[in-house]
Amino acid sequence: MTGIIMFFAALALLVVGYPVAFTFGSVAMFFGLIAAIVELLPNPSFMSVMEEFFSMFSMMPFRTYSIMTNTILMAIPLFILMGIILQKSQLAERLLESMGILFGKVRGGLAISTVLVGTLLAASTGVVGASVVAMGVISLPVMLKYGYSKKLSTGTICAAGTLGQIIPPSIVLIILGDVFQLPVGDLFKAALFPGLALVGCYVLYILVISMINKDAAPRIVVPEDEKKGMVWRAVLAIVPPLALIVMVLGSIFAGIATPTESASVGAIGAMLLAAAYKKLSWKIVIDSCRETVKITAMVFAILIGATAFSMVFVYTGADLLVEEFMMNLPGEKWGFLILSMLAIMALGFFIDFIEISYIVVPILLPISEAIGINPMWFAILIAMNLQTSFLTPPFGFSLFYLKGVCPPGVRTVDIYKGVMPFIIIQIGVLASLVIFPGLYGF
Amino acid sequence: MCFVTGQFCIHTKFYQSAMLNKVELLISRVVDIVGRCLAILLLLMVLNVSYDVMMRYLFHASSVGMQEMEWHLFAVIILFGVGVALKEEGHVRVDFLYDRLSKRKKAVINVLGTIFLLLPLALLILFGSIDFVLDAYNSGEISEDPGGLPLRWIVKCMIPVAFGFLLFAAVGYILQNVEKYRSSK
Amino acid sequence: SCKNQEEPAKTGSVEEKAAVPEKAVKWKLAMTWSSTLTPLASPPLKLAKLLDEMSGGQFTIRVEGAEKHKAALGILDMVKGGQYDMGHSASYYWKGKDMAMVFFTSVPFGMTASEQYAWFYYGGGMELMQEAYEKYNVLSLPGGNTGVQMGGWFRKEINSLDDLKGLKMRIPGLAGEVFAKLGVNVTNIPPGELYTSLDRGTIDALEWVGPAMDIKMGFHKIAPYYYTGWHEPASEMQFLINKKAYEELTPEFKAMLDTAIKAVTADMYIENFAGSVDAWSQMKTEYPNIMVKTFPKPVLKAMKTAADGLYDSYAENDAMFKKVLDSQREYMEKARAWTIISEFNYIETSKALAE
Ligand code: NA
Ligand code: NA
Repeated sequence: MTGIIMFFAALALLVVGYPVAFTFGSVAMFFGLIAAIVELLPNPSFMSVMEEFFSMFSMMPFRTYSIMTNTILMAIPLFILMGIILQKSQLAERLLESMGILFGKVRGGLAISTVLVGTLLAASTGVVGASVVAMGVISLPVMLKYGYSKKLSTGTICAAGTLGQIIPPSIVLIILGDVFQLPVGDLFKAALFPGLALVGCYVLYILVISMINKDAAPRIVVPEDEKKGMVWRAVLAIVPPLALIVMVLGSIFAGIATPTESASVGAIGAMLLAAAYKKLSWKIVIDSCRETVKITAMVFAILIGATAFSMVFVYTGADLLVEEFMMNLPGEKWGFLILSMLAIMALGFFIDFIEISYIVVPILLPISEAIGINPMWFAILIAMNLQTSFLTPPFGFSLFYLKGVCPPGVRTVDIYKGVMPFIIIQIGVLASLVIFPGLYGF
Repeated sequence: MCFVTGQFCIHTKFYQSAMLNKVELLISRVVDIVGRCLAILLLLMVLNVSYDVMMRYLFHASSVGMQEMEWHLFAVIILFGVGVALKEEGHVRVDFLYDRLSKRKKAVINVLGTIFLLLPLALLILFGSIDFVLDAYNSGEISEDPGGLPLRWIVKCMIPVAFGFLLFAAVGYILQNVEKYRSSK
Repeated sequence: SCKNQEEPAKTGSVEEKAAVPEKAVKWKLAMTWSSTLTPLASPPLKLAKLLDEMSGGQFTIRVEGAEKHKAALGILDMVKGGQYDMGHSASYYWKGKDMAMVFFTSVPFGMTASEQYAWFYYGGGMELMQEAYEKYNVLSLPGGNTGVQMGGWFRKEINSLDDLKGLKMRIPGLAGEVFAKLGVNVTNIPPGELYTSLDRGTIDALEWVGPAMDIKMGFHKIAPYYYTGWHEPASEMQFLINKKAYEELTPEFKAMLDTAIKAVTADMYIENFAGSVDAWSQMKTEYPNIMVKTFPKPVLKAMKTAADGLYDSYAENDAMFKKVLDSQREYMEKARAWTIISEFNYIETSKALAE
């Protein structure tokens, strides 16, 4: 119960507008104190409450340290740096513009290009913060510059930047592989089609919405006198930065670098590319680094605040309530599937996907086995569902991360509204995966 | 007498304000320097990772120590970056209300938020991590892996030091917002 | 007296009161592993269940896996600091704090599980372990054994020492140091990226645990050579107990705890053995393409020399290390003679009979 109240308290305090990270952390602290008192009822002496409270929070350095030593998270600053250098050297702008121009009279070209670049990045990292922020830095300014609506721009970026969770390699899939005791390689293969289906639906949605709402995604207008050889010039502008992104991917596939390390190939590559275009200066490098430090710290402050939050959530025994609820799910296929998917989605509001995976899945697994549900399919359903939880307001991490790199004119509400259609698409694809597993090779 | 006292008060107020300004300026300068150092460290981290990739792929020569250096640098960047981002307004807010508020009200939220939300949290983590560092120091902890880095306590002690730095930056942030409150009547 | 009148009202009868101590004990235990990682996670979970039953619900332990506390390698510090009353881990994770800790798990070319258990319980091992953990104010007890771990998955066959030179391998601990001495390019890869790295050839080989857990990772699909073990002949898990918390237990609870720990420790060894038996037979039938190999004798010889050299050099600078090393070496010589004449000889004869 305390856990649920804590959720709403955090929500209320967030609205005041003090930074998210510290709000999460301190709400956790306050409720930790309450939890310590509750734990020691009926006679909570001051000293014993303090002892309990401090002992709870002396877990924080351990949790912080495990974030520090989690080398997979190094992909975050590396990808952000690549994105910022591409942006500051105007290479990203030219890439997206040119891709947009190639779409000709079709509207929404920039947004579709964003989805495609996001798909490529997703194939080289599985860390959400890394790709959302990189995509935000690369494509938000361009889309806004060409008059795209804030809603469509931010929604597209959040959705495209979160694709990394389902398109392999992916941390969610690795953890689910561990919990489900399924080979990671098989899960990666199984996730590919559902992931690409998402990409397809995003593109389709963008095409349709830009046709209906012409203000949302204006065409890129090229002056008449520049039209000659325009396509050729566009192709020329696309090749180098796109090649860089493909190189990042290639370094993983050729066995040169691990996915995390490949991001450094991207950062160095972006600098070399900028140098080749004579856009590189010490100032750009150091400014990009400073910017990266700031954004990375923003992401980590949220991670640290959230870790305190989930620590107290677990401490108050809220996870036991969840377990109890899960145990009582119906033993009939459709009821079980629908309720378990809804429950996971709801939990996504409170705690991170790692905890969801380990708390919920071991309970669901035996039930699903008894019903005779294909575990690989079930794992992908959960992965897809967890991916959605990064996008759902109010606590979706992708939304916070993108907000952190938005220009001042873009407000939280724009992002919340913008991401809604994409959440509906995700739920739609998830539903189609539930109803027609055959379509995806299950 | 009264007049004189009034004068004196205004003078003290002015004097205090100038003092606070100076303190704030000093803090903001230090935070700035730390930010610049972190930028250099980030560049070093990028080079570090690329160097390790190259050595392993081309020369079949990995150094576990160099690999560990990667996350040591990473740790320093993310920990101290929190304070730098505070000064540079880099932390995300939910802005439903905040954006519509006057400058003065924003300053009030920032001052109160920092005092009641940030400071206690930072203090708690700072003091909570001292035993954590001492454990590493007293046992002379080193890397568990062959060829890894010694002196684990140094990277562990970045936690309390960084949260100390966050407190320091937070004081500057409070002063900065007090100043904003005063200057935007 | 007053007290006597109060208590039976709660617990039912006077007899029960005599058997069950007055104060209920609620402990917390942190594991290095996630709660689903059986058989490693089995001993703590079974311990909690046993104690709950033995004490009639008066002595309960809340077991938390790494997914909850998020500090897999902080167990020793957390038990020492009192955030948790107990821990379940493996002693060699504290190698960075104290080199001698490796002996209480397993070392390259060390003892088999039965030899090592004999050393622990009847050969002075427990006393040495307690001496090593004295300064952390914790008790350390054996906590289950994995038996012989496999030597790892390789993308190409190892025929000579030259094949090891420049080989990129993820292998932690002492075994990594031995390999490094033989020219292997020992590298750190986070577990989450192991599969992709081995698949893409970023590394050529890796060491994991044994058939049951390895098959689940799917390594056999990308690295067909599976080498037999040499480096962890009998990895012993460990229970850590905060000393102060233990001292506060009543004699009855202490006895329950000690007994239950010994029971679940034996149980994990058996559970793991049974699991490996099944996994091995499954592997042979379902994945006949896996090529099971043993390192050639010259390679093993070089490993042994390298390992002995390592031990001697550590012993030179570390008195505790030397003390435990000497004890293990001495005991192993004695124990091995018996193993050879008993079990090994029996297996050789049965094998000969079968042929
Ligand atoms: Na991915
Ligand atoms: Na192992």
